[in-house]
Amino acid sequence: MTFQKIKSVLGLSWQIAKAGFKLRNEGSYLGIFWYLLNPILMFTLLFFVFFDRLGSNISQYALYLLMGVIMFNFFQSSTLDSSKVIKENNYLIKSVNFPRESLVFSGVIRNLLSHFFEVVLFFVLALFFKVSLIGIIWYFFILIFFVFFVAGFSLILCCLELFFYDIDNIWNFAVRILWLATPIFYAIEGQTRLFYANLLNPLYYFVSISRDLVIYNKMPELYLVVGSLLFGIGFLLVGLFVFNKLKGKFAELV
Amino acid sequence: MQRIIIENLSKNFRIGFAKNQSVLERFYSFFSGKEPQKTICALDNVCLKVDSGEILGIIGKNGSGKSTLLRVIAGIYKYDAGKLETSGKIVSLINLYIGLSLRLNMKDNIFLTSSLLGMGQEDIKKSFDSIVEFSGLKEFTETKLYQFSMGMLQRLVFSIAIHANPEILLLDEIFEVGDEDFRQKSGNKIVELVKKGASVVLVSHDMEMIKRHCNRVILMDKGKIIINNGYA
Repeated sequence: MTFQKIKSVLGLSWQIAKAGFKLRNEGSYLGIFWYLLNPILMFTLLFFVFFDRLGSNISQYALYLLMGVIMFNFFQSSTLDSSKVIKENNYLIKSVNFPRESLVFSGVIRNLLSHFFEVVLFFVLALFFKVSLIGIIWYFFILIFFVFFVAGFSLILCCLELFFYDIDNIWNFAVRILWLATPIFYAIEGQTRLFYANLLNPLYYFVSISRDLVIYNKMPELYLVVGSLLFGIGFLLVGLFVFNKLKGKFAELV
Repeated sequence: MQRIIIENLSKNFRIGFAKNQSVLERFYSFFSGKEPQKTICALDNVCLKVDSGEILGIIGKNGSGKSTLLRVIAGIYKYDAGKLETSGKIVSLINLYIGLSLRLNMKDNIFLTSSLLGMGQEDIKKSFDSIVEFSGLKEFTETKLYQFSMGMLQRLVFSIAIHANPEILLLDEIFEVGDEDFRQKSGNKIVELVKKGASVVLVSHDMEMIKRHCNRVILMDKGKIIINNGYA
């Protein structure tokens, strides 16, 4: 893929994302409020339910929880969008030959835009709890690889839609299991089986490394850094490979 | 200069190949093996050349392969055998669903659809006034498209497509749209494009329109070109 091609794919993705963003807001800035409502409600509910029990041994539990919630929210929204993107755009796919990747990337960009609002929310909470804000700079580096992972995963999920028409329903269910399996509102320390299971869960790496660097201002363990890099780059490469192999069939199979 | 060269091109579809299956149905089909499959030949050994500056009309019954041929030329469908060479930017108007979003206003839709047709941001900004002017919908730029009539949507789509600088323009039943003035205007614009060296491939059931605009006509039946040198 040449630089020119990447530029045109990302340019188109940005245009589609912008249109999607406007559609969601329907021309009103109040729409932004809806982006924050879901994580705020989820965070508040979990915080009050678990603060005394699961959160009692976790330092800065509010920030620990919010970091997990907003990162998972970005992953969940992007992948759920990609699991139905072909179905929703079938007429367009049959009518115009444009870079199909743009449909998936636009979903990731749109959700990334709303993720930034959530990061601002995190920032405000960190100020409230008087946590050093230097670590937040690290988050933007982590986010690059996290976006790679989410984009790669979304490309794969979008291809599965070709073969399983109701993959969005299945994924909706699977992502709930993943929500419970990932240490978002609890700590994994001392749970050996869950720890080993989470070594196969890319979200565990990204969420843990973000908490270490941003909230606790400490160097994460090496396996977390390596895991994040590998899952980020690996998923993007595999996603692009699978997508490129199958995108020629999209117009026929939708 | 030849803009499109097609040699012995074939395209098959697997009819009965159960697409759009759910996960459970797929597993059932896999284990039961009851999935009758039939291959139909949508394009059978098609040979065609379209010159620069030519307007080619394609006629034929429903299911004769006209739209499939357009989609193959546009690169939307992959072909199974043969050769296809195209030279120049392809813009296809196969139906009205080229990215229009009814909940967005006309301005946003011009930017979105033009991007899908391969235009860069700077080009869109430069062409914006001309697209609006040509569509004759100047007073509706801030209006959301769900308030547009079908005729207005067709005019908008057509205006966007011809401003996307096509060198190969593929039109499927979308040519003479809107009122008499707009038809006249779009006909003139097509002639202008063709004079500059573009090629236009026009699929239609309207023989009068084909006669009015095309230099050459092909007749298709069951995926084959029956008459290739019919001059309108």
